[in-house]
Amino acid sequence: MITALHRAWGRYVRLTTHWPAVASIVPFIPFVLMWWAVVAAGLFPRAFLPSPVDVVHSFADLVYKGILPEYLQDSVMRLAVGAFWGIALGIPLGILIGMSQLAHRALWPLLLFFQAIGDIAWLPILVIWFGYGLVTMTFVIVYTVIFPVILNTVLGVRSIPINMHRAALTLGASRLRIVWEIVLPGALPNIVTGLRNGLGYGWRALIAAEIIVGTSGIGFMMFDARRAGSVVEILLGMIILGVLWYIVDSWILAPIERATGQRWGLVTR
Amino acid sequence: MRPTQHLLSALLFAAPFAVLIGLWAVLVPYFDVNPRLFPHLDAVVLAAIEGMRDGTLLNHIGASLMRVLVGTVLALLAAIPLGVAMGVSSGISAFLTPPLRFFSVLAGIAWIPIATLWFGYGFGAITFIIFNAVFFIVTYNTLLGVSAIPRSVRNAAASLGAGPWSMLTEVLLPGALPNIVTGVRTGLGFAWRGLIAAEMIATNAGLGYMLFVARDFYRTEVIVLGMIVIGVLWLLLDRLVLAPLERATIERWGMVQPA
Amino acid sequence: MKSLTIRNLSKTYFDAYAGKHVTAVHDVSLDVAEGEFVSIVGPSGCGKTTILNMIAGFIPITGGEILVGGLPVKGPGPDRGVVFQSFALFPWRTVLDNVAFGPKMRGTRKAERERIAREYLALAKLTEAAGRYPNELSGGMQQRVGVVRALANEPDVLLMDEPFASVDAQTRMTLQEELTRIWQQKRPTVIFITHDVGEAVFLANRVVVLSKGRKLDEIDVNLPRPRSWDELNDNDAFKALSNRVLQLVRAA
Repeated sequence: MITALHRAWGRYVRLTTHWPAVASIVPFIPFVLMWWAVVAAGLFPRAFLPSPVDVVHSFADLVYKGILPEYLQDSVMRLAVGAFWGIALGIPLGILIGMSQLAHRALWPLLLFFQAIGDIAWLPILVIWFGYGLVTMTFVIVYTVIFPVILNTVLGVRSIPINMHRAALTLGASRLRIVWEIVLPGALPNIVTGLRNGLGYGWRALIAAEIIVGTSGIGFMMFDARRAGSVVEILLGMIILGVLWYIVDSWILAPIERATGQRWGLVTR
Repeated sequence: MRPTQHLLSALLFAAPFAVLIGLWAVLVPYFDVNPRLFPHLDAVVLAAIEGMRDGTLLNHIGASLMRVLVGTVLALLAAIPLGVAMGVSSGISAFLTPPLRFFSVLAGIAWIPIATLWFGYGFGAITFIIFNAVFFIVTYNTLLGVSAIPRSVRNAAASLGAGPWSMLTEVLLPGALPNIVTGVRTGLGFAWRGLIAAEMIATNAGLGYMLFVARDFYRTEVIVLGMIVIGVLWLLLDRLVLAPLERATIERWGMVQPA
Repeated sequence: MKSLTIRNLSKTYFDAYAGKHVTAVHDVSLDVAEGEFVSIVGPSGCGKTTILNMIAGFIPITGGEILVGGLPVKGPGPDRGVVFQSFALFPWRTVLDNVAFGPKMRGTRKAERERIAREYLALAKLTEAAGRYPNELSGGMQQRVGVVRALANEPDVLLMDEPFASVDAQTRMTLQEELTRIWQQKRPTVIFITHDVGEAVFLANRVVVLSKGRKLDEIDVNLPRPRSWDELNDNDAFKALSNRVLQLVRAA
C-alpha cells in the first residue's frame, strides 16, 4: 500500500517537472472534492453553500447570456486603465524621489501618510466630487497602484551601488543619460516587484469600488447577487477573480520578476 | 547627540505636513471653496473636538479597532499552528502551496458579499473579513517560513535530543518568525482596507460607516476627519509597531523570503 | 594621455560623530608625467583612496589643486577613467556593451564603437566573453572587463582603486601581469592605489608612500620591462625595492 502511494507520488513529481502547470492545478482537486462532499452531506443549507456543479452551471449560463464576458471586460478594462496611469505616473515620480534628496525629504512622509489612508477611504469624497462613474473608479485604482510602484521604484533606485553611477560619469555619461542607461535598468527588478504588488492591491480596490459604487463588473455582480440572495454568483465571482489573478500573477508577473532579477544577477527583495 | 538626532528627524518628517496644513488653511478659504466639496481646516478641527466630546468619534474608532483586534487574534491562533503543521512536511507544503496562494489572493475584500450573506450585517461579517485577510496570508507565510528552515537544522536539533514540543518552540517557531511577522504585516494591511470597505456596506458603527454616512449629508468635514484618523491610525500601527517588529526579527535572523 | 599634477593637495571634512574636523590628506604634491605608471601605497586610512576620489572628481577638494594636462579638474568626467575595486560593471549589459559604453556616451556610431570594444577585448584576451553578462564571469574576468572598459574610452589619466583586492591571490598575479602587458601596448598615465607593497613595485615606474595623509617618500622603480612574477620573485633588485617600501610603510 505504502509503496504504491510512493510510486504514485514519484510519478506525480516527475509529471510536474515536465508540465509545471500540473502542480498548480492538481492540488485543487481535493478541495473541490471536499467541497462537493460537504454539500452532498447537507452540512449547510443550499442557500449558504451551493455545490460545485451549481457554480459550473451558473458559469455556463452567464457566459451564454453574455453577462459574464461583459462584466469581466468592464472590470479588466478599469483595472488596465488605472494600472496604466498608476505606472506611468508612479515610475517617474519614484525615480525623482529616489534620486533627489530634497524631493525625498519633502514627499516621503506625505507618501506614507496618504498610502495609509488607503484607497477605499477616498470613495465617499470621490463620489461627492465625481459621482458614481469611471472617474471615481479610475482614481481609486490609480491611487492604489501608484504607491507600491513609487515605493519600490525608490527602493530600486537607491539600491543601485554608487560606484555604478560613478563609473558611468567617468565614462562620460550626462546626468540625464544616467537615468536612462543606469537608473532605469538598475531599478527594473524592484519596479517589477512594485508593479506586481500594485496590481495585487489594485484589483482588490477595483472590486471594493465596484461593490460600493459600481454599476457593472465582477464586484458589482457579486454584490448584486448578494442582494438577490443568490450565493452561486457570489462564489462564481470569487472563483473567477481568484483564478484570473492567480494566472496573471503566477504565470506572467512572477516569472517576469524572477527573470529580470536573475538575468542581471540582481537580488529582489 | 542621539536624542537631538531623533528630534531632528521627527521634525523633518513633520515638516511636509506642516506645509500641507498651512496650504490647506490658506488656500481653501482664499478660493472660497464650497464646503460641500471640501471642508475648511477649522470645520474639521471642530468636528474632531465635537466627535471626541460626545464620544461618537471614539465609539467609531473603538468599534473598528475592536473588530481588527478580535479578527486578528482569532486568525493568528488558527493560522500559525496550521501553518506550522503544514510546513513541517516538505511534500505537504509543496502540494498545498497553490491552493493557499489562491486563497491568499482572494483574502479580504472579495469575501465581503459572501460574508454578509453568511453572517448578516454587523460585527460577525466584518470580523470574518478581518479574520480571513489575516488567516490565509499568515498561514501561507508560516508555511513558507517553516519549510525554509534547513533540514540540517531540524536534524541537528533532533540529534541533540529535542522532543516535539521543544522542536516547535525552539526551532520551528523562531525559525519561521520573520516570515510570520511579514505575513502579519501584509495581512493586517489587507485587513485594514477590508475593514473600511466592509464598514461602508455592512454595519452601523466604525470608521468606514462614519465616512459613508457623512457622504449622504455632504458633511465633508466629517469625511476628511475620518480619512485623517484612518491614515494616522494605520501609520501609527504600521510604523511604530509592525515595521520595527519586522525589522527586529529580520535583523536577528537574516533575510526574509516574501510571500 | 596627459600629465597629472597634484599641488599641495589637502582634504578636511567634518566628522559629525566625533564632532570635529578631520584631515584626511595633508599637503600632498605629486608630478606624474605622460605615460607614467605611479603606484600609491600605504596602510589603511592613509588617505590614498581619498586622493584618488579627488582626482576622479567624486569628492570636492578642500585645499590645493589637481591639474590634468595643465587644467584643473572639476567633477567626474571621461578624461579620468576609473577602475573600481567592486568592478562596477553594468549587470544588464553584455561585456561588449559595457566596454562600448564610453564611446556610446561620446556619440560614436554602433558599428564603430563595437569595433573599438572588440579591439580592447582582444587586447585583454576576452574575445569569447563579448556576448556574456557580467554575472556569468569570474571575478578576475569581470575586473579585466572593468580595466578595458575604462581604457576603451581613452581617458587622459587612468585611476585604479585597489582593483585587484577582490580577487584571489593567483588571479591577482595573473591580472597584474596582464595589466603591465596592456599598459606597455597603450601606455596610459596611471595612478594605481594599493596596500600591497609587492604589487605596487611590480607594476610601477615610481612608488609613492603615503601615511596618515602625508607623502612620506617617492621611490623610483628601474626594473626592466616586460615584467613577470616568475622572474621578479627571485630578483634581488625587486626584493630590495620591496623591502625599502615595506620598511617605510611599516615605520609610519
